[in-house]
Amino acid sequence: MIQLKNVSYTYRKGFGLANIDLKINDGEFVFLIGPTGSGKTTLLSLMHMEIFPESGKVTIGDFDSDTIKKRKIPALRRSIGLISQSYHLLDDRNLFENVALPLHVIGHNQNDISEAVEEALDEVGLSGFEDHYPQELSGGEQQRACLARALIKNPKIILADEPTGNLDPVTSFDLVKLLEEINSEEGTTVFMASHNYSLIKSRNHRIVEIHDGKLRSA
Amino acid sequence: MNKFLFLLSEGLKNLWRHKLTVFTAVFSVFLSLSTIGVLFIAEQNTHKLIEYMRSKYKIEVFFKDSITNDQASQYLQEIRKIPGVYSTTLITKDEALKVYRSQFGDDLTEFLEYNPLPVSCVVNIKRQYDGMIKINPIIERIKEIEGVDTVNHQGRLISRIETFYEQGLLGLSGIAFAIILVTVMIISNTIKLTIYSKKDLIKALKMIGATHTFIRMPFILEGVFQAVIGAALASALLYGAVVGANELLSQLTVFTINVQWMFLSWLFLIAVIISLFGSSRAISRFIK
Repeated sequence: MIQLKNVSYTYRKGFGLANIDLKINDGEFVFLIGPTGSGKTTLLSLMHMEIFPESGKVTIGDFDSDTIKKRKIPALRRSIGLISQSYHLLDDRNLFENVALPLHVIGHNQNDISEAVEEALDEVGLSGFEDHYPQELSGGEQQRACLARALIKNPKIILADEPTGNLDPVTSFDLVKLLEEINSEEGTTVFMASHNYSLIKSRNHRIVEIHDGKLRSA
Repeated sequence: MNKFLFLLSEGLKNLWRHKLTVFTAVFSVFLSLSTIGVLFIAEQNTHKLIEYMRSKYKIEVFFKDSITNDQASQYLQEIRKIPGVYSTTLITKDEALKVYRSQFGDDLTEFLEYNPLPVSCVVNIKRQYDGMIKINPIIERIKEIEGVDTVNHQGRLISRIETFYEQGLLGLSGIAFAIILVTVMIISNTIKLTIYSKKDLIKALKMIGATHTFIRMPFILEGVFQAVIGAALASALLYGAVVGANELLSQLTVFTINVQWMFLSWLFLIAVIISLFGSSRAISRFIK
């Protein structure tokens, strides 16, 4: 479960989030819609505990923002699959190595890793691309590779920050469908931020709107 | 174990991934350790030189006319207790006469009808004395002994040699310390550059839940590998240079360069310590 209770956060320049209350149940698929600069990334950063609220509390599963110790943050992040607009794939590693990275962090052995990478790449439709380097892939393929990297550790939650921002409409639609499949088949909670209303309006999921750092409907 | 193997392989792979910066760091370590090695070899051989010179230091102690050989022997025991004194050799009145005869050909007792030469002794200084030998306090202590009449010594020369030796050692240590400091800075800055160029990797690792230790370890291992390679190259150069120089010297002089090769293991240790310090310093600035 993801819960934000009366959360506020202000950047030095003044803007941020104000009095956010939001609850996302386990297995739910929720869209966060709002224009550029409305606070979508800030909200996701708070959930990923890259930043901490000035007031209020963020709860992600067993982790609370006001009590979590610094050394426990990696454990929280291992339970979350994060995908973003900029893919954060490593250029000097092939797809296999990129996708395998989270399992190395956890400490899996090589055999398990090979099997899991194949499975994850197959799930996102990138089987056979193991030896390709990120720069050899299209934007959609790179985003799917990011999704494979997020999925490989079987996260309970996927946080997607404008994952379709750099993709064409067809590829964007395919990615949303893929996230929906993961949500329905694995029961993974998905919270996806987007400014593309036309992409999400026809999907049958809860939509939360953010504007100037405030939620309009939740 | 799986994590450790992965981090180890990452450290090794990073050597190839960051070829240019690695080359800079390895070359810096190589140059620094080679210089430190040369200084160490110089120090070891200077040490031999100072030991040789100390073996030539001689203090001659003349006892009063009234002092007998037996009394002089007791005074010699007192002299041997003075710090810095290695040995004493008693020269009896008869032995002094023999020396006089051999050097001047005359027999003093023939026309004086007694032996006027006093009992004396030669005092040798310790060769392997830690630091500088201060000759004046030794001479003062000898002079304080009751039966001593006069003390002949090369005090000024010895003091000059010892001061020069001490200043030389201090200078070498200073240079070595400066080189180590510069190497730490170079390694630290090289790793900083590497880390800066790997911001994406660090961001990705943080994103997927890597601990700080996991993120830091490949950079630290990379630094250690660089240091070990640099130390190996420096060791090979120093070994080759000493063997080559001795080969050449054997044809020209009897002097050879002596090296305790165990010091090469110290070079490796210094390199690893420098790299650990340098890389930790660099990483702590970026990964907090």
